[in-house]
Amino acid sequence: MTTHTPAIETAPSATRKEPSYLDVTKGFWSWAGTLDHKRIGIMYLVGVTAAFLCGGLLALLIRLHLWTPEGMLFENGVYNQVFTLHGVFMVFLFIIPAIPASIGNFVLPLMLGAPDVALPRLNLASFYLWLVGSILTVYSIITGAVDTGWTFYTPYSIETQTSVLSMGLAIFVLGFSSIFTGLNFIVTIHKMRARGQGWFKMPLFCWAIYATSVLQVLATPVLGVTVLLLAFEHIYNIGIFDPAYGGDPILFQHFFWFYSHPAVYIMILPAMGVISEVVSVHSRKPLFGYKLIAFSSISIAVISFLVWGHHMYTSGQSEFVMMAFSFLTMLVAIPTAIKVFSWVATIWGGSVALSAPMLYAISFIIIFTIGGLTGVFLGALSVDIHLHDTYFVVAHFHAVMMGSTALAFFAGIHHWWPKMFGVMYDERLAKISAVLILIGFNVTFLPQFKMGSLGMPRRYATYVEQFQIYHQVSTVGAMILGVGFALMLGYLLHSLVAGRRARANEWGGVTLDWHTPTPPNLYNFDDEPVMAGKLYDYTELDISPTGEATFKAHKSTATVGSKA
Amino acid sequence: MSGHATIVTPTPEGFRPHAVAHHFKTAEQEFQAGKLGFWLFLATEIMLFGGLFAAYFLYHGVYAETFRVGGSTLNWHLGAFNTVLLLTSSWTMAMAVRASQLSNRKALIGFLSLTWLCAAGFMVVKYFEYTYKFSHGIGPGYFFAPEGHYAELFAGLPFPNLYFALYFTMTGIHGLHVLVGMGLIAWLIVRSSKGHFHSGFYTPVELVGLYWHVVDLIWIFLFPLLYLVP
Amino acid sequence: MTLIAFQDPLGQLPTPASTFAEEVDPLFTFLTVISIFFFTLILVVLVYSAIRYRRRRPDQPPASQMTHNTTLEVVWTLIPTVILMVTFAWGLKGNLDQQIVPADARAYTVEAWKWAWAFHHPGDDPNNPQTAAEDLYCEIGVPVRITMTSRDVLHSLYIPAFRVKRDVVPGVRQILWFRPTELGTYDLFCAEYCGDGHSLMRRKVHVVDAETFAKKPWIDIPQTPEGRGEKWYTQAGCIACHSLTDQITVGPVFKGIWMRPGQLQSGESYVADADYIRNSIRNPASQLVAGRPNWVAGAMPQFTEAQLTDEQIDDLIAWMKTLK
Repeated sequence: MTTHTPAIETAPSATRKEPSYLDVTKGFWSWAGTLDHKRIGIMYLVGVTAAFLCGGLLALLIRLHLWTPEGMLFENGVYNQVFTLHGVFMVFLFIIPAIPASIGNFVLPLMLGAPDVALPRLNLASFYLWLVGSILTVYSIITGAVDTGWTFYTPYSIETQTSVLSMGLAIFVLGFSSIFTGLNFIVTIHKMRARGQGWFKMPLFCWAIYATSVLQVLATPVLGVTVLLLAFEHIYNIGIFDPAYGGDPILFQHFFWFYSHPAVYIMILPAMGVISEVVSVHSRKPLFGYKLIAFSSISIAVISFLVWGHHMYTSGQSEFVMMAFSFLTMLVAIPTAIKVFSWVATIWGGSVALSAPMLYAISFIIIFTIGGLTGVFLGALSVDIHLHDTYFVVAHFHAVMMGSTALAFFAGIHHWWPKMFGVMYDERLAKISAVLILIGFNVTFLPQFKMGSLGMPRRYATYVEQFQIYHQVSTVGAMILGVGFALMLGYLLHSLVAGRRARANEWGGVTLDWHTPTPPNLYNFDDEPVMAGKLYDYTELDISPTGEATFKAHKSTATVGSKA
Repeated sequence: MSGHATIVTPTPEGFRPHAVAHHFKTAEQEFQAGKLGFWLFLATEIMLFGGLFAAYFLYHGVYAETFRVGGSTLNWHLGAFNTVLLLTSSWTMAMAVRASQLSNRKALIGFLSLTWLCAAGFMVVKYFEYTYKFSHGIGPGYFFAPEGHYAELFAGLPFPNLYFALYFTMTGIHGLHVLVGMGLIAWLIVRSSKGHFHSGFYTPVELVGLYWHVVDLIWIFLFPLLYLVP
Repeated sequence: MTLIAFQDPLGQLPTPASTFAEEVDPLFTFLTVISIFFFTLILVVLVYSAIRYRRRRPDQPPASQMTHNTTLEVVWTLIPTVILMVTFAWGLKGNLDQQIVPADARAYTVEAWKWAWAFHHPGDDPNNPQTAAEDLYCEIGVPVRITMTSRDVLHSLYIPAFRVKRDVVPGVRQILWFRPTELGTYDLFCAEYCGDGHSLMRRKVHVVDAETFAKKPWIDIPQTPEGRGEKWYTQAGCIACHSLTDQITVGPVFKGIWMRPGQLQSGESYVADADYIRNSIRNPASQLVAGRPNWVAGAMPQFTEAQLTDEQIDDLIAWMKTLK
């Protein structure tokens, strides 16, 4: 069992017509065999959190090892396995499914006013494929781990004696899980929107998930064929990536990054979607420049297919090819900048609640700005030659993936937690942990920018002494991060057993997800929602002096507009 | 919302009625959702083969002469015969979809069976092509140790193994898709005989039909690239 | 030195020592200044509005309902666009210089393998492994052109002080060039992950004056077989896996190796005599030692006569006899 029914009192309130999705059935099989998008989302949530904890512990081991220049904990070979597993856990098991498959699964149909995703059985299949992929990953650890780095560059990945084969299979299976989720969401967005909900009445989270899903469907198959060919290299030396047999190892990099660069946006686009929602609700204000943000999601998705070569500036591509990739890389930065400005403009002049989700969202904006700006350094050709494969790159992508995507994931968890479980966590502790994480992140990664600029290459089990001070500060930062996350895990779990009952509309949101009962029914809504009003129209709400938010027109039925 | 009545599509006499899944408002919505989902799945198939085609074009550019000689060792008559088989099966598949829409159970089962037989014929031809190559030491990767006249033919050419690595990978993955298709068609035949498909519900026939056309389409590209290398 | 200070006023980069630094460092500084400016701007506005407009009572309405401002949106689209285009062109120009090798550059070669670099200086026989140097020597002001090959997997030659980096790809000849401008000794790293000894592929680059360079400081072959053996130990990369202490890094330790008994994976026992050592270098897969995890068992690369001569192996054996 990957999850359990939380012990929450969800006694029917005055307005509750049906039992919540948590109470409607009980027992192991009611979860393991469920087709309900919300329960599948919760199972994913438990799964990806477990993967995050494993990956996080490995990260702490890496940081501890690097306390001294000779390396404190491991033989070099074991260190290589530890950082490879950290990457595989975090990228394939955590970040890629994190927001779409857990929060997206739970929230997307609610925002569209739908009773479920379009293809519920495929949704469950996607979860079980994720589980099989995770088990295969663990299996490959038991049978000798993998020491190639998460990028699996050939020919090293062909020569190594470690379990590349089972890890490749794991990634192939995880790829299908990701494709199924994306495919399902595209169909859901096209076919399941509520009556009255045109494309531009969709919340921005839906736009972000839509752009993400397109990338998942179109890019992941290329990863599939890449790991398949890598597996053939292992089974019978097929030679396509192996120079000893006439193959070209650079072709592997092209294939890999054709997937993995869009994958970067598979990771960050849903995060941007979450932040758009959180910023709007907690500022009680419509998103500034809604259409521009929606279009920027789509344009990021399109351009992201054309920039993979910027991972390979030092591999000896022709100057013309590098010029094109560098130019397109600069282009992709523009919609990204627009989003940051729009979030800040949304907060400006709002009624800004400095709640826990909002603190996570503000931390996201700060760190994402660092990640975005340092990305420009790496897009510039001559500067990237110096910075490529150094700790500058490590710090940059951790700012984007960990500091941004993971923080947005946690912002989303804190934002929808009352909707998911009907309980509230201790917000005071949540704010402390948000601040700890913001401080911990910067203490960990700012020294890494510095040592990367000074020339510290990545994936080094040992290093020259001049970098020791930066490594030590970074390790201290990682410990602060560890404390922040441990605290978060503690108060979230505690809220499930002893948290106060959440209000019907805890933060005063107005998108359709906040029109469901808390927690939602099995099929989400009491009555079929019809979207008559505007999107993000906060004037629909009556706010009592104690902060209780109710919808003006339909205080008791949780329906938008009228049932025609 | 859980209380709404189950929608049943109109069902001709003698067929099994189809109940629309609970979360759809209309049968049309269910059909369209299934179809869009399947088109997206087919897009992933195109991307997967697209990767292999990219590898083919790269190495064809680098080792043009090797690829020409490699291609000349394949029997293009057999390839052409297989192309005709698959094209025929695409037509019978289209007719099967039509038959299901007209609730013509006999024609549906007949056309599906013909499609299945064409697919089986394709695989039989492929089997003979593969075993002939294997018996002369031509296999993928380290099974590549050409014997007899093949050894002479490839003498001095750079990396003939690469051509055959791609040949076996591409036709192998395509063949796997044909086998999966045969399984799906057999499943359709069983369900058709139980009267599951009719004018009110033929989604599975339509979707397998789409799949089969894509498998056919990929072969249309594979055949000239592998058998008729310029 | 004032010029250098101007190029990298924030001290973010290693001491510049090649002409490329003149291209890279100002762009890096430009981007740093721009980044600090925009980061501060965003941070200040963000924190200011979060505090200024914070919700003081639960039912407080927003101060403004503005959701759109075309002028503002056009401005904040155009400004980043202009900055990004400048950055693109500037970066491209710097990179073009790195692609065009001057005609008067001195020809060097380097071969990389797990886990060592073998540098061949101008005038060496690149096919004689005995002339390979551990460190790279170059003359100040004279451009260097290195032809790079790999014996096994990907490596990447990286000299931070010169701002150069280029992947070394098996089956391909890659070219790297630079013109050193400052006397000194600098770090040289492998920047592409290549396995257990990746972080041990660290060498030095010595920029010397013309007089020193003419003395060919890279040729330094000791007179005694033991002395030469020790040199080959470092130069051929044995040092990356075979330690001289009791601490196993990857392969068997060399301390006390001579005539040491042990067991092979096949179950046979062996004694580390001259034949055993020679065979372990020429054909390592034939006699893997027992008791090591499977991922390191096959790590030892094979050395052919062209990569390590018989005389070099004799020297190594002579030296191993002295390791107690």
